[in-house]
Amino acid sequence: MSFHPEMEYAPAKFHRSERKLAEPGEPFTYTPGNQARFDQVVTRYPADQRKSAILHALYLAQNQQGYLTAAAMRHVAEQIRCTPADVEDVVSFYTMFYTRPVGTYVLNVCRTLSCALLGAERVTEELGAKLGIKPGETDSTGTFTLVEVECLGACDRAPVVMVNDDWHEGLSPEQCATFIDDIRARGGAAFTGCHLKKEAGSGQQAADSGQPAEGSKK
Amino acid sequence: METVTLTIDGLQVTVEKGQSVLQAAIEAGISVPYYCYHPGIGVDGSCRVCVVKIEKMPKLQTSCSMACTDGMVVSTRDPEVVEARAGVFEFLLVNHPLDCPVCDKGGECPLQDFSYTFGPADSRMDFPRRVFDGEGVRADVDFGPTLMLNRNRCILCTRCVRFMREVDGDAQINIVDRGYGSEIATFSEEGVHSLMSGNLMDVCPVGAITTRDYRFKSRPWDNPNVVDTTCTLCSKGCSTSAWLKAKPEWAKGSQLIRITPRFNPDVNSYWMCDIGRFNYHWIEGDARLRRPMQRRGTALEASTWHEVEPRLRDAVQAAGSPDPASVRFLVSAHASTEELFVLKQLVEGLRGAGGLTSIAVAWTRTAKNQPAGTRFTIPATDAPNVNGARDLGYRVGAGNEGLPDLEDLRTAIEGGRVKALYVLDPGPEGSIGDVSWIVAARQSGTLPLLVVQGVLMTDLCAGADFVLPGAAFVEKDAIYTNDQGRVQAASRAIAPPGEAREDWQILVNVAAALGLSLAYSSSDDIRRALATAMPGSAYAQAGQITFTRPVPAKSWLQSSNPSERWKWDFMFQDLPPVKGHNVQTEDMGREGAYIPLRAVE
Ligand code: SF4
Ligand code: SF4
Ligand code: FES
Ligand code: FES
Repeated sequence: MSFHPEMEYAPAKFHRSERKLAEPGEPFTYTPGNQARFDQVVTRYPADQRKSAILHALYLAQNQQGYLTAAAMRHVAEQIRCTPADVEDVVSFYTMFYTRPVGTYVLNVCRTLSCALLGAERVTEELGAKLGIKPGETDSTGTFTLVEVECLGACDRAPVVMVNDDWHEGLSPEQCATFIDDIRARGGAAFTGCHLKKEAGSGQQAADSGQPAEGSKK
Repeated sequence: METVTLTIDGLQVTVEKGQSVLQAAIEAGISVPYYCYHPGIGVDGSCRVCVVKIEKMPKLQTSCSMACTDGMVVSTRDPEVVEARAGVFEFLLVNHPLDCPVCDKGGECPLQDFSYTFGPADSRMDFPRRVFDGEGVRADVDFGPTLMLNRNRCILCTRCVRFMREVDGDAQINIVDRGYGSEIATFSEEGVHSLMSGNLMDVCPVGAITTRDYRFKSRPWDNPNVVDTTCTLCSKGCSTSAWLKAKPEWAKGSQLIRITPRFNPDVNSYWMCDIGRFNYHWIEGDARLRRPMQRRGTALEASTWHEVEPRLRDAVQAAGSPDPASVRFLVSAHASTEELFVLKQLVEGLRGAGGLTSIAVAWTRTAKNQPAGTRFTIPATDAPNVNGARDLGYRVGAGNEGLPDLEDLRTAIEGGRVKALYVLDPGPEGSIGDVSWIVAARQSGTLPLLVVQGVLMTDLCAGADFVLPGAAFVEKDAIYTNDQGRVQAASRAIAPPGEAREDWQILVNVAAALGLSLAYSSSDDIRRALATAMPGSAYAQAGQITFTRPVPAKSWLQSSNPSERWKWDFMFQDLPPVKGHNVQTEDMGREGAYIPLRAVE
């Protein structure tokens, strides 16, 4: 429906864009717990820069329902007082926001230079072959999603795979099949973790955004 | 005004402090290309084509984002600049489809013009082009009720993004998938829903955003003429240009093909709303009145002026002679000040000084749906001249701030106290609001005589005894007083259709038929009389107002944006479309730092 006084809006008459869109989704609002978290986080920013809380706001929404729908983006836009287009801009940029349901484990394979030189392309292939999926897809059991991403900042331990919020370093193509089986068997214990964190010897607390939100499906 | 003086290409240029190097260069007539810069929206510095070399600065600088300082030495011709600039242009065309022959911007496209001037002769690119949404015209996708978007042509200057954010006030457009796949998009492909959407076609420097209304309808070289005029669809009165498409030789006259905004810093800046831009089809539509008509029995029959005028006189005299006060007038605030002035003289001539009390002025108000933060507010009053009527002494109540008061007229008509009603409405349909009560009164006989002078075959005309075809606002030279009290001129772009006449002429003839001689032979005469009648007012200069005639049009750039318009006149002399005679600049008498902008008085 168009509010436009002079021109009827009949989108079906015209060629629609082939752009891949987020699902419209069910009506979305934060759970009271997430709302409280957001209200607290947003106080860290000046009142006229609420928009700066966008990543926090999106993580809360994504953790609440597993992925982001158009309805969720709209809700986030209302929360941070910008337009839904601004939110979609950010969501479409970051590989860690999903607009489709993802598996329990999201395998983010780095494809940037160091990792590429040490066989990242083959890592993707092997993982895909083991799971029977292509990058961007989720396996039939809903356990694994395969994604290609840019540099994960652990170039000296290439090839690197980020699984959800954890790191797995030095994953050679040959180890891929056993790596999957290992995750199936041991879950998070299968990851090497970040060597820097280990060297620092600290059980450094995950950032806010990494903590599971209320109603988390993960 | 604090100024700074700098040297650009060896030329001493003095500009207001705070101007950018690009603005200084434009004002000095030095050609520097630009895409992301637009004088009406904020600086972005993202397209990089405006690079210049500035002495003592280590690298080339983008001139649009570099403020002028005293003593700055700038070169836009240095080999280093020329090479860097050509490189940027090569990249801009790496993915551009170059489908100029089917692109609406072709012929008035800054990408074409600047690429010809500053770009390399050919491209080294031999990879396939990046394609969104399909090849060729298939890539034109829905972009809301008024627009189409072709992402293959987009050069990501973000003018559209910034226009929506800064001017419209609702950032509906953004860039998604930033990176090699960057594309302009609205949320979930919902399209742009804004009363300002048409301006996106103006700001887009390529053919990526086009209006559905104009798309595929004409090419710049088919629109040989453009007229500077004023929009009359609300009380704001934006300065606009009316573009005329030449008809094939076998057809007569030219056709109104689009309306674009014309820069006016005091009223509309570089913009106009979609109502003014797209609501012009009624002017040359099928419902236009082309011949006078009179009622015979139940039917309205086409007639001629010399037949209608005596009959009209007889009918009005018969109805009005027992009681002249029973002849009443209803005039739309779409009537120009000239028409209101003549009408006033007509009633005062026939009825004496109190004559104006027999005239009611009508207009409508519509709330325009706009975002709270908009920089361009469209007023609620849908008529251009409520203030003109007020200045002439008509009763307009709260004026532009309120609704007209027709209660008095309505009670009189419904009480049978009005024997003849003369309606003057040169506006689009519905511009005097609900008139069903007049039609009903005429049908029941409570109102014995109804005369309508208008432009469209409305229900009111259908119920009238006499219908007199008048002229729409682009068909006559006339002045209107906007809601700021500015007296503005709207020029005649096309001729009224068929036997339709300019409305002042009809009124003068009606007056003559009724035995009142008003010695006006042109609308100029009326403005001079108006000036004499109202010394010391905003109308004192009315006699000197000049109206433009169709001038050879070079481009939309020329009409919508003075700095681009300036460039068009001085830079592209040897580029297509070939320049013709230009009345905008011929009387300037000097070249140099002068923007040939004719501000509307
Ligand atoms: S659509 Fe036009 S105005 Fe918008 S970024 Fe692309 S080229 Fe610029
Ligand atoms: S704001 Fe009013 S005057 Fe300006 S274009 Fe729109 S309708 Fe016309
Ligand atoms: S290149 Fe893979 S982590 Fe940096
Ligand atoms: S105009 Fe200066 S960078 Fe675009």
